[in-house]
Amino acid sequence: MTEDRQSNAGTKSLLEMWLDATSEFWQSSMRLWPHATDEGSNTDPSRAAQSGRMQESYEAMFRSFQVLASVMEKPEGIEGAMRGIAAFPEIASKLIKPVWEGLFHMQREWVDRAGRIGKSTAAYKYEDIDRDVFKVWREIYEREFRQFLNVPQLGLTRAYQERLSQGADKFQIFQTTMAEFFSLLYLPVEKSFKVLQDQVAQMAEGGELPEKTKEYYRIWVKILEGHYMTLFKSPEYNQTLRRILDSLGDYMVARQEILQDAMQALPVPSQKEMDELYREIYLLKKRIKALEKNQDGNGATATEKPD
Amino acid sequence: MTQSKIRVDLILASLAEDAEKAQEKVQKASDVFLEPLHTDIATTPYEVVYQEDRVKLKHYYPIAETRFKTPLLVVYALINRETMLDLQPGRSVVQTFLKSGIDLYMIDWGYPTRKDKFLTIDDHVNGYMDNVVDFVRKKHKVPTINLMGICMGGTFSVIYSALHPDKVKNLITTVTPTNFDTDEGLLHIWMRHLDVDRLVDAFGNMPGDMMNFGFLLLNPARLVIDKYVGFLEHMDDRSFVENFVRMEKWIFDSPDVPGETFRQFIKDLYQQNLLIKNRLEIGDRRVDLGKITMPVLNFYGSFDHLVPPGACELLTSRVGSTDTEDVRLDTGHIGIYVSGKCQKEFAPKIVKWLQQRDTAEIPEEKEIVMGGVAAQAEAVPAMI
Repeated sequence: MTEDRQSNAGTKSLLEMWLDATSEFWQSSMRLWPHATDEGSNTDPSRAAQSGRMQESYEAMFRSFQVLASVMEKPEGIEGAMRGIAAFPEIASKLIKPVWEGLFHMQREWVDRAGRIGKSTAAYKYEDIDRDVFKVWREIYEREFRQFLNVPQLGLTRAYQERLSQGADKFQIFQTTMAEFFSLLYLPVEKSFKVLQDQVAQMAEGGELPEKTKEYYRIWVKILEGHYMTLFKSPEYNQTLRRILDSLGDYMVARQEILQDAMQALPVPSQKEMDELYREIYLLKKRIKALEKNQDGNGATATEKPD
Repeated sequence: MTQSKIRVDLILASLAEDAEKAQEKVQKASDVFLEPLHTDIATTPYEVVYQEDRVKLKHYYPIAETRFKTPLLVVYALINRETMLDLQPGRSVVQTFLKSGIDLYMIDWGYPTRKDKFLTIDDHVNGYMDNVVDFVRKKHKVPTINLMGICMGGTFSVIYSALHPDKVKNLITTVTPTNFDTDEGLLHIWMRHLDVDRLVDAFGNMPGDMMNFGFLLLNPARLVIDKYVGFLEHMDDRSFVENFVRMEKWIFDSPDVPGETFRQFIKDLYQQNLLIKNRLEIGDRRVDLGKITMPVLNFYGSFDHLVPPGACELLTSRVGSTDTEDVRLDTGHIGIYVSGKCQKEFAPKIVKWLQQRDTAEIPEEKEIVMGGVAAQAEAVPAMI
């Protein structure tokens, strides 16, 4: 307790000293200002006016600093500042904690998954596919990182920032889903080799190993085809297929919006503008064709009797 | 000492033999690749006789005396291109038709761009298709034409025949989906879960490359791996390489599909199956299959993984016509047009079926009315 007080007293005197020195410096700087203004006013009136505005701004800033310094010099002001400084590590740890937790969680899942290698490749079974690593990454991303991209943007450029954030978000989701999709497509290859090994072992036991090397390939392709058919009919594959198409669509739309923002600066029409134009042309052509058909249908033109 | 059950010596000998053969094959393949290859597709000569926006009408030059009173209009899908019907000499549906004396027209839908994204099924069926049909009717001075649809183009032809039965003499549908409520094909399962609004809003038109990627995923073991292993095995055979490259050119020549058409096709057909229920509305008109009273010939493939038999075979029982026939061939979606076996079973069957129904028609009293756009297009036929 005594040590704390001594430490506070030491810090307090240091802070006071720093505030005094800073005030002294800015005050002396202000004293130099009128000379500079006087020199400028002799040559260019507009520059003099500009310097005057700068001086006013400088004085206002200095007054604010003085008020702040006087508050800070009081014991309760210093205590407030000390509390803020003391709270900094706590705030930082709160910020970093979820990130570390996420990383540890992912690492734990990786370790668990490594332990399961070889246990989950039963032939022709796709109901309980081991895709945890992608699921974990997606969950971590959605729980810990995604909200940073959804923070409300403020100010003049908020809409642009928002579209950039959305683009990054959709890209991330698409990438994860694509990795999951391709890992799923690879599974039949892995499983088919396992089945081939079993079949070859069985044939070897029975002394029926084919002599022609192409026969092994033929057996493998047939097994692979069977595995793919089983996979493609599984609900897991259909869900993943839908997810990848949805995420691709979302990413394409988000990317297009970013490109449109960028293209505003170029002397070329955006895709949205062209689509509006195409739609107008489409509707106009349709109306003209209908009118022409009606006119001809009334027997006005282009009629001939068959032989 | 007993002999091992596994003849390791034989396996190793086979491996060595394969390695030797592979080396020889690579040397020969290098000669094949470095010399000029004939890989052009759709080489049968034709004239573009009508054009509206991106859509062109091809009229093939006859190579035999025309023996049919009624011309045949072929409507291809918006996915991939009509060049598949004339892929290579000796395996060309187009040439079989021409040799049989059919006066042949074919719609080339072209390559939709961003400006086409608002085009709906109505614009394709009651717009472009109807104008083309009117153009052919007027040119040949006939009240009706024969209509043949392929895949999605077949669905368009079914819709067209129901809405304009007075303009169609005979309807031929090939690998045409009309019943979308089936679990036979993966495509039908996948489309049920598709959020098509999100995709179309994001892309505008449905990218052809993206659809092709989806088609490859239907059977990656065969379409991404085995197919190219097969190519490596035969890459020293010039004729094989030329045909393989022709097929590759066709497969990956994928125009985008206009966004609104794709949206409507997925929502109304794949997800709600409205066509077969007679509840589909096109251009404010309900499509009633009962109005299809002309003869109908319906082809489909037993091993079609894109449009399985279950998606095709209900049609003939739902149309109003009493003259219907289903033909199921033991082949896949593309094999029906290009496989050597089907060259004898597919196009010749159509020719025979049309011959039996190619009776002279009594001209109608009313005039053949041609749309204004068709009239304009006829005035300046484009030449290729």
